[in-house]
Amino acid sequence: MTTPSPSVRHRSRILAAFAATALLTTAACGGGSDPSAKSEGAAELALAVQGTPPSFEITQLNGGQSAYIWSSLYDTLLYTDNQGRIQPNAAESYAYSEDRRTLTLELRKGMTFSSGAPVDAAAVKASLDRLLRTPGPNQFAMTAVETIEAPDADTVVIGLERPDGSLLSNLSYLNGVIADPATMTRPEAAADPVGSGPYTLDKGATVTGSTYVLKKRADHWNAAAYPFETVKVRVMTDRSAVTNALQAGELNAGSVDFTQLQPLKDKGMRITSVKATAVASLILADRAGEVAEPLGDVRVRKAINMAFDRTKLAETFLRGSGQPTAQVFNPKGGGAHDPGLDEAHPHDTAAAKKLLADAGYPDGFPVTMPSLAVTKAFEPTIAQSLADIGVKVNWTPLPPQQQAAALSSKKYPMYFILDGLAGDAVTSTLFFSTRSQRNPFGSTDPELTKLIDAANKAADPAAAGEAYRKVNAFAVDNGWFSPVFYIGTTWVTGEGVVYLGDGSSTYSQIRAFGTGG
Amino acid sequence: MLLYVLRRLGTGLVLAVLVTLITFLLLAPSFDGIAGNRLGPAATPEAVRALKAELGFDRPLPVQYLDWLVHAARGDLGTSLFTGEPVAHTILQRFGVTMSIVVVALLVTVVISVALGVLAASRGGAVDRVAQGASLAGNLFPSLLLAIVLVYVLSVRGDLLPATGFTPLSADPLRWAGSITIPVIALVATGIAGLTAQVRGTMVDELRKDYVRTLRTRGLSARSVVLRHALRNAAGPALTVLSFEFISMLGGALVIESIFAIAGFGGYAFESSLQGDVPAIMGITLFAVLLVVTVNLAVDLVNGWLNPKARIF
Repeated sequence: MTTPSPSVRHRSRILAAFAATALLTTAACGGGSDPSAKSEGAAELALAVQGTPPSFEITQLNGGQSAYIWSSLYDTLLYTDNQGRIQPNAAESYAYSEDRRTLTLELRKGMTFSSGAPVDAAAVKASLDRLLRTPGPNQFAMTAVETIEAPDADTVVIGLERPDGSLLSNLSYLNGVIADPATMTRPEAAADPVGSGPYTLDKGATVTGSTYVLKKRADHWNAAAYPFETVKVRVMTDRSAVTNALQAGELNAGSVDFTQLQPLKDKGMRITSVKATAVASLILADRAGEVAEPLGDVRVRKAINMAFDRTKLAETFLRGSGQPTAQVFNPKGGGAHDPGLDEAHPHDTAAAKKLLADAGYPDGFPVTMPSLAVTKAFEPTIAQSLADIGVKVNWTPLPPQQQAAALSSKKYPMYFILDGLAGDAVTSTLFFSTRSQRNPFGSTDPELTKLIDAANKAADPAAAGEAYRKVNAFAVDNGWFSPVFYIGTTWVTGEGVVYLGDGSSTYSQIRAFGTGG
Repeated sequence: MLLYVLRRLGTGLVLAVLVTLITFLLLAPSFDGIAGNRLGPAATPEAVRALKAELGFDRPLPVQYLDWLVHAARGDLGTSLFTGEPVAHTILQRFGVTMSIVVVALLVTVVISVALGVLAASRGGAVDRVAQGASLAGNLFPSLLLAIVLVYVLSVRGDLLPATGFTPLSADPLRWAGSITIPVIALVATGIAGLTAQVRGTMVDELRKDYVRTLRTRGLSARSVVLRHALRNAAGPALTVLSFEFISMLGGALVIESIFAIAGFGGYAFESSLQGDVPAIMGITLFAVLLVVTVNLAVDLVNGWLNPKARIF
């Protein structure tokens, strides 16, 4: 038996050590914080979002955090500023007719798409027509629109079947997007959008589903409002990854879990908490008792509202990153929110049981609810609260791909869901429109219709706020929903970047980020 | 051997057809929901019907499946219902990302496991105890926890490696190495533990066999006996474990991709399933089946090459 000579063994060890060192050194040289991803003054915004944009085709856009991408690529007719006020945008002025059934928009002159084609009334009409006539997730918000005309190159006139208080807000977001008519119907529009927005998609640097790199257009009519030359949006589904990337300097903006704030605070990063950006509610949809007879009785719906100890639930689940509520309207949505309504159905199990008994259900009743991926963590507590008053929940799993269709049908008399908050008018459409997923049984009430009509006709924001407050009171008094708590969002920004929102606008627009600090 | 390879590939294709058919039949009840998801809360039944017709979901199921199969046979896996991108292109792009992590992880696993296993079996004593201890620790220590600790130490505190993201090898080899280092370490931890134990065990058995004693008495060097003869015979079971490890690493990559915000194959499969992106799910299923068949075939061929007695062709 022979063994390697000591010198050979020694050399092997040296080689092994060298190889290991080389690997680590190489890795270290290549790694660390990607300088291109770090904030260089205010030149770049490196932002994390939780969801992948499904498509950039204008009828398939969604309003989640991935909207930071499309809302930078497309101009919208109007703009909701960080205080929630509607402002001119691609339309430099707009005016309603006296009966609020005709909206005339005057377009800004000299705008161009990234393809170089001009943005004119014909292009806007083509986009609006497509949004109106192509079935898609946002089409329901245009139900009041009857006609779209382009009488001249700079004017667009929208005719309404009835006044619609949410129209201006919708035109400032998903339903006001302007795309190049020459390309918007092509299949490639899903991944290669042509808009007139302040940024263009850098296809070479973008990795679909992972990183979207946006380059500022120097020739955009409002370039000065966008301080970042480059916006790099990274899709990160894991919240810990966002925290790590912020700490490592790979991001300079992202929303994080409130439990992970301390190390970011220690690092001197700026923390901005918005107390309410979403609402968690039990939608008591079957208000006529078609599928679940008990829900047709307002006493039952009130009893369900009284089953929840909202303060305790908010503390348990959110620990300071949200607040209890009994209403679906945004506390900063414009005026509908009324703090007094939160006390309309205080937690009282005994009183709730009595209401159920008075309604003819002394032993409670069973109900089937869909178990959704986004609400799974809350389900045991929701079921326990309902069980305490005798309502026995039978959860049936609902795969995400079937969710929209199932919740729009009359299959589930009630369901628990999380909704992003919006302005009063949009909230009203989402929760009360007879075509909305949050009103699958198409519930109507003459009093409510009158209240919504009044709100839709209100020209003055203060009057509209007051009118929506009455709509809100109707919903609370009649137990149409059983909201439980608002969920907040905590934004963390790095050096040179500030988050400007306060919850008044919950639209994901890049103008929510500014420079400074 | 060619006949054997063709027979195995033929069996693989039959398996792929069966698995994709089952997948398709499992997806079929969701077609209404998928159309509804694309259309949103205001979708009328007429709109859902129209979209189903546009997507071809209204045709009889056998026609739909055969249509997909014929296109798949030509390499056309269709386009995503949501992004509009060609499925085959996305699969290759995402798989490339995952493979550039998994292949390195596999190589590291092989090198370290074989070295540790052979050393432990041939040297015995303290080396063996250390190798066994390391193997046990690797099995006990969750790789997820290891990844989190490494990110904190090397990225957040040390600023040596990126905490998230991926740089393609073609774009920048140095940055690529940096971006995969922690994911690779997290992936190999349990793999090394399992493979080291396997190599050590089979090597101990081989080194006790008569032919080893004969080789030694004929004056062959210890290195030659261990590396050229015993290790070659011990490689079969290790290769089998390694093939399982490869498949397991592909699964584990889903978690790693999520933690490190890497757009890989696992994440694509997960997103497509959540959305109900039928062409993507079908393409991913087909690709995964063919991958497993190919890996198993490759392992059998390598095994036969290493050890003629183990040849089954």
